[in-house]
Formats: sequence, structure tokens, C-alpha cells
Amino acid sequence: MSERFFVREMAHGMTLLGQQMDQVSSAAMTLVVPAGCAHDPPDMAGAGSIACEWCLRGAGERTTRQLNDALDALGCQHHESVRSEQVVFSAAQLGRNLAAVLEIVADILRRPRLEEETFGPSRALVEQDLASLEDEPARKCSLLLRERFYPSPLGRCAYGTPEGLAAATPQRLREHVAEHFTPAGSILAVAGNLDWPALGDLADRLFGDWPIRRPAAPVPQPPAAGVTHLPKDSAQVHIGLAHAAAPIGHEHYYAARVAEMVLSGGAAARLHTEVREKRGLVYHVASHYHSLKRHAGMFTYAGTRPDLARQTFEMTVAEIRRLGEGVTDEEIVRARTQLKAALVMQGESTSARANALASDFYHLGRLRGLDELSGAVDSVTAEDVLDCLRAFPAQDFTVLVIGPESVDMGVLEA
Amino acid sequence: MQFTHRKLDNGLTIVAEVRPTAASMAAGFFVRSGSRDEPPELAGVSHFLEHMTFKGTARRTALDVNREFDELGANYNAFTSEENTVYYGAVLPEFQDRLMDLLCDILRPSLRQEDFDVEKGVILDEIARYEDMPRYRLYELLMGEYFLPHSLGHSVLGTAESVGAMRRDQMQAYFSRRYSPGNVTLVGVGNVDFDALVGKAAEQCSGWQPCDVTRDTSPPPPAARRKVHTDPNVAREQIGLASPAPSSQGDERYAATLAATVLGDVTGSRLFYALVDPALADEASVVYDALDGSGVFLTFISAGPEQASEALRIARRELAGFLDDGPTDAELLAAKNKIASGATLKGEVPMGRLTAVGYDWVYRGEYVPLADQIEALFAVTRQEVLEMARRYDLSSATVVALGPLEQL
Repeated sequence: MSERFFVREMAHGMTLLGQQMDQVSSAAMTLVVPAGCAHDPPDMAGAGSIACEWCLRGAGERTTRQLNDALDALGCQHHESVRSEQVVFSAAQLGRNLAAVLEIVADILRRPRLEEETFGPSRALVEQDLASLEDEPARKCSLLLRERFYPSPLGRCAYGTPEGLAAATPQRLREHVAEHFTPAGSILAVAGNLDWPALGDLADRLFGDWPIRRPAAPVPQPPAAGVTHLPKDSAQVHIGLAHAAAPIGHEHYYAARVAEMVLSGGAAARLHTEVREKRGLVYHVASHYHSLKRHAGMFTYAGTRPDLARQTFEMTVAEIRRLGEGVTDEEIVRARTQLKAALVMQGESTSARANALASDFYHLGRLRGLDELSGAVDSVTAEDVLDCLRAFPAQDFTVLVIGPESVDMGVLEA
Repeated sequence: MQFTHRKLDNGLTIVAEVRPTAASMAAGFFVRSGSRDEPPELAGVSHFLEHMTFKGTARRTALDVNREFDELGANYNAFTSEENTVYYGAVLPEFQDRLMDLLCDILRPSLRQEDFDVEKGVILDEIARYEDMPRYRLYELLMGEYFLPHSLGHSVLGTAESVGAMRRDQMQAYFSRRYSPGNVTLVGVGNVDFDALVGKAAEQCSGWQPCDVTRDTSPPPPAARRKVHTDPNVAREQIGLASPAPSSQGDERYAATLAATVLGDVTGSRLFYALVDPALADEASVVYDALDGSGVFLTFISAGPEQASEALRIARRELAGFLDDGPTDAELLAAKNKIASGATLKGEVPMGRLTAVGYDWVYRGEYVPLADQIEALFAVTRQEVLEMARRYDLSSATVVALGPLEQL
């Protein structure tokens, strides 16, 4: 069974993607614009987050309240987020309400009011989100690890810095939005109960005359990397470590995903078995794959009590390294089953599919169907995994620890 | 879509909402047991037991259990609440039999001493993990302040002391008392082969010995207490309010869900416009928690220390003000649309329906198709919501705070 995909590249650089799905009444959309936090001006880190918040406070003819009310009346489940390279607007609703929601989203992107009186609260909310990270040490650990691992500013935390947020002004934010909310590199993906020709006509009407701007791409600088300890009087020690992995589109990509499964795909995987199951050192230890356009990494987290921190760290590093010695056929078979089952179950969700379409096109310039993905997963052998891990070995870790004391890093030298 | 159910001789009930065209199936054992059923000296035993269920049976080690779930490509987990312990998994339909073999088996765990000792360390680490989450600490403090000495105020995790002191034989006795087949419901959703589901349950669970299981469901007396917990290590002030609400069995639960949405949904609610929109708080929400024989409205606010008192004052004003006129027509319709839309989207995936179908049966012994629930939701009038709000006076609440402030 193959999916019904549609692709259309508009003249000014915006791409429309569609997947027709039967037996669902919903249609989910994911719209990305190239205004992620990597594009924040260097002295205004957090601009993207302020922009995202501010754009929702009135757009077109509608005030904040009218905007919210309109989306609520349409039963729209919406979510806005700022990632490294993109700002993402996602919305799920009944298929018959998609067109009305898209009209509103077009207003938000193209005609946000950005009024003086709503700037202050928008910035204040981002400042508060940043301050709240102090009360979420596990999450802070993951966010700051990513910031230090990727070439700067690609991994930057979307909330920015207190200085960066303080430097923002309404005028500079308006310029930032005008410069970066642009069709070139934007993607509108819709999955579910979809009328493709109608969507095309609607996109032409709503976005066809969107002016093109071509802002300069951020110039990546070498990553901060290294080992960092942030002291905190916390009950747990939060340990994050990252090392390089094959980006999406790389020849070793599928082998990297299989390796991820073997290391951390479930309770029978290496990390959970050795660190939690057999030794009871942690409640949570996990490693996951993440990719930007040209860089990717394996990001590992372990939370443990202070008296077990060194042992947990050494055990976790040992398991990541041991993967490079090889994986068994049984592990390969299991990883394939897990990956394929996840793909099929993801295929039932319109919002998961809309996100996948946008991601595929951004990274690869085309869409991948279930057959292609299953086939690629099935063709990964133990040898392929070994080749992948040789090309991307478990070394040169970036480490971030949050807790009462730093952790002995001696094992990294071994 | 079709609903079927069967009951084994030993009292185990099996229910299923079957949709043959779904791409997956989800199944779960719903055990009517949680922290409210624990004697105080066994605080955390339901949750610890949930962990131990995955640590092996007569014919499987813990590693066998983990490996088999992963071999099925299962999306699986378990959770423990004040009232329920639920074990569930979703798989492609061809794996139904193997999933059921595994789930039925682990519901009779061996509770080996060695596994018990190792897993105790994991639980202690989980307790430490939640100690680093002020939001969760506030939830426990609020439930305790509002409900105790009523058992709904018990902590689900327990404490390092109560878990540290727990013995294997105590857990075994608790298991025997609570995991009687009459106290358990097996739920299936999606592309389910119901006959095979029943067959497997009959084959593996018929030997489960029934016993009488009781739960005192009388509601707690309403309380309007106030407690401020000062912790300079917490950066933002966490504030919680709790007040009585309709029970799971009450007819007013749709009205209660709507009231919570109008008052405190993430978007477009009274608290959103009063607190989050002007950035007086970064988070403000109201949830309706429908429990066995009682219910509670919970309000959560997160604010900077300098704004916390003002945020609390405004929240209380909004909750009290709701009793004047209730929701406007526009607010009520928006709430209905949001809830209906959310439930529809969630229900497109079998796993998204599992808890709803399970709880409908566990709490009310009924099955209601989603379309009927949405219809019942849309039938609720403004007057009904207002009357419910007045009957369950939201303005009279227990208030708890956790954060840097000495007083609010």
C-alpha cells in the first residue's frame, strides 16, 4: 500500500505538501518558516521566541481575543514552537475547518499587528520561560547540552539570554519578523482529510503574493563543546552527553537509527538493561538521535542520585562505547521491528504525518513513503551499523552536568 | 465500530471497542487500585508494585519481559494514580496474541527478593527526580493539604522512608488483596480480534483467585486550608488551589469539564486572559479531576515571586466571579468545540481511546461511543454549568504555595 502524496513548489520558494489519508475526519497542518533561533541577531538572542509570541497577539482584522476565539470556535488544536532553523506552526482540526484555520494562520504570519502595548508582555513571557528552566534541571540540561554540542548558534536555546531579551525593542522585532517570515524556504504540509486542488487554490490566494526576502544564513562557528558543570543544590545529578552522528540524508543515516534502537530503543536496549535494570542506578537513562540540516548527534541523558553519579556516568559511557564493538543479529531484527511498528502507528496520526512531511522535504527535498522507509530499515545489516559507528565513533563527547558536585570525567580519557 | 464485552467466571471483565480498519490495536489491564487504597505505612506500594510487575514471572525473567515487548515493536508502559494502576501496550494487529500472552503473564508477577532490592533503588531515584520538579512537589502538597486525612491525599510515589522500609512480603500481601480478577478490567481498542482476546484471557487468567476487594468511596469533607511552603531553591512561586467537584459517577461531570475549560484552559480561558496574556503568570490552568465517589477542581499558577500574590488574588477573583453568571454563550461554545475536537483527534488512534473506554467501564460500568459523548457535551446548557459551579463553590478553596516566598 503506498500513500497518496502531493508536492508543489510555488514560484517564490514556498513548498506545498499533501498526504491524503482515508478513514480520518481530521486534517493537520504543519507550516514552517525559516525564522528559527539560529537566525536571532547575535545581540538579541531570544528574538525568535518573542516574535512567535507577539505574532499571536492580534493579526489582520482581529485582536488577540478575536484571534483566540476564532481558532477555538474552529476546534483548532494549535501549537507554536521555535526550533533551531525554523519556527513551526502546527494545527490540527476537522478537515472541513482547515481552510478557515489557514486563513487565520496566513494573517498571523503575514499581517501580525505587533502593537507597542503587546510587546512588553510577549517579552516578559519569554523571560519567565527562561527563568522557569531553573526549576526544570533535567530539561535545562538537555537544552544547554544541545547549545554546546552544535556549531554555534545552530543549537542555541530558543529562549535566548536575559541580555538578549532585554536588548529587544518593538522596532527591531518588527524588522526581524519582516526579514525572516518569508516564503523562500517555507513549507506548508497537510495530512488527512484533504482536498489537494482546493488547498492549492487557497495557498495561491493566501501566500501567492508573499514578498520574498533572503536573509543571510547564520555562519556556524565551532561548537563550545567540552565538559561543563553547573552547580545546583538538586536531589539528582543530571548528566547529559552528546557525540556526532550521521545527518538525515547521509549514507549511514538508517544504520544510525538502528544503532539508536539497539542502544536505547526500549527496555531491552543496552542502556536501560545495563544501567537501570541490572544495577538499579537510575530511573531514567536514554539516548536519542537528533539532526539539523548538516549536523546530527546522539544525545544521552541520565539522572541519578549524587552518590551514584560517578558509577552511572562510567556505566553510561561504557555502554555507548561498547556499541562500537558490534551488534547482534537478534538486536538488529528487534530494532527493525520497533522502527517499522513505530512508522505504521505514526501513519495513523494526521499531525505526526504532517510533521513528517515537512521534515522530509526540509532535509531531503522529497517525501519518503512507508515502503521506502521499511525497505531502508530492513536493509541495514550488523556490518552497516559497525561501519556507521566507525565513521561516527563514541568519542569527543560534549558533557553537561547539573548537580551539587561535578562528576569525575576520568573515564573519558580512557 | 462495535462494542463487546464478556466476563469470566472468576470476575475478570473484558471489554473492547473494535474498529477492524484501524492499523493497530491497543490493550490494557485496568486494576482498580492506587495510593488511596494503601495503609499509610505502605505509602508507595501500588507504584512500586507496578514496577515489580515488569520484573518477571514464573516463566519469564525481567530481561525476557523487556525483550519480548521490544520484539513486538510495542508502544507500551504502565502508570499508577490515586485510584488506578494501568498496564497497556499498542501493537500491530498480527502481534495481538503475543502481546496478550505477555500482559496476562506479568499481571501475576513473581516478586523475587533480588529484583525487589534492585528495583527499590530505581524507585528511590524516581522519588529524587520528582523532588527536582517543583511543579510536581506542589501537586503532592496540594492534594495532601486538601484531602488528608482522607486517603486521596496519599502520595503516589511514597517517600524515601516508606519505600526504603518496605518489605517484599508486605507487597505480596497487598497484591493478593487488590489484584483480584473482580477488581480488574481488560480493555481492547482498535483492530482487535475479540474472540482471540477472550480466549487468551480465559486460558491464562482463569486461574486468578478472586477475593473481596473494598474501597471506601465516601467523599472527604470540603476544606479551605492555607499553607505556604518556603524553599529558596525554587526559583518561581508555584501556587495551587483545590476545591470540591462532581464525582466520576455524577451527572454533572460534563458541566464540570466545561467549567474547567472556560476557566482555565491553556488558550482563551478566563485565567489565560487575566494572568498569562498580561504576563502576570507564565502558566495558569484549571483541571477537573473526576475521582471515585468524589472529585476536585485543581488550579495551578506559576509566577515570579514579585507577582505571585497579585496573581493569586486575581485567580481567586476569577473563580469567585464565575459564580455570578457562569460562562457566556460564546465561551461555552468554544469550550465544547475545543473538547470535542481534542477528543476526536485523539480518538483517531486506538491508543488514544484506551483510557477513555477503560475509565468509562471502571467508573460507571458503561460504554459510550465518542459521538454520543460529544452530543451529550453539546447538550449541556449555560444554566447547568452555572448551577454546578454554585453547588461546588469554586471560591472556597484550599490554597498551597511552594517557592521562595515566606508568605502570600
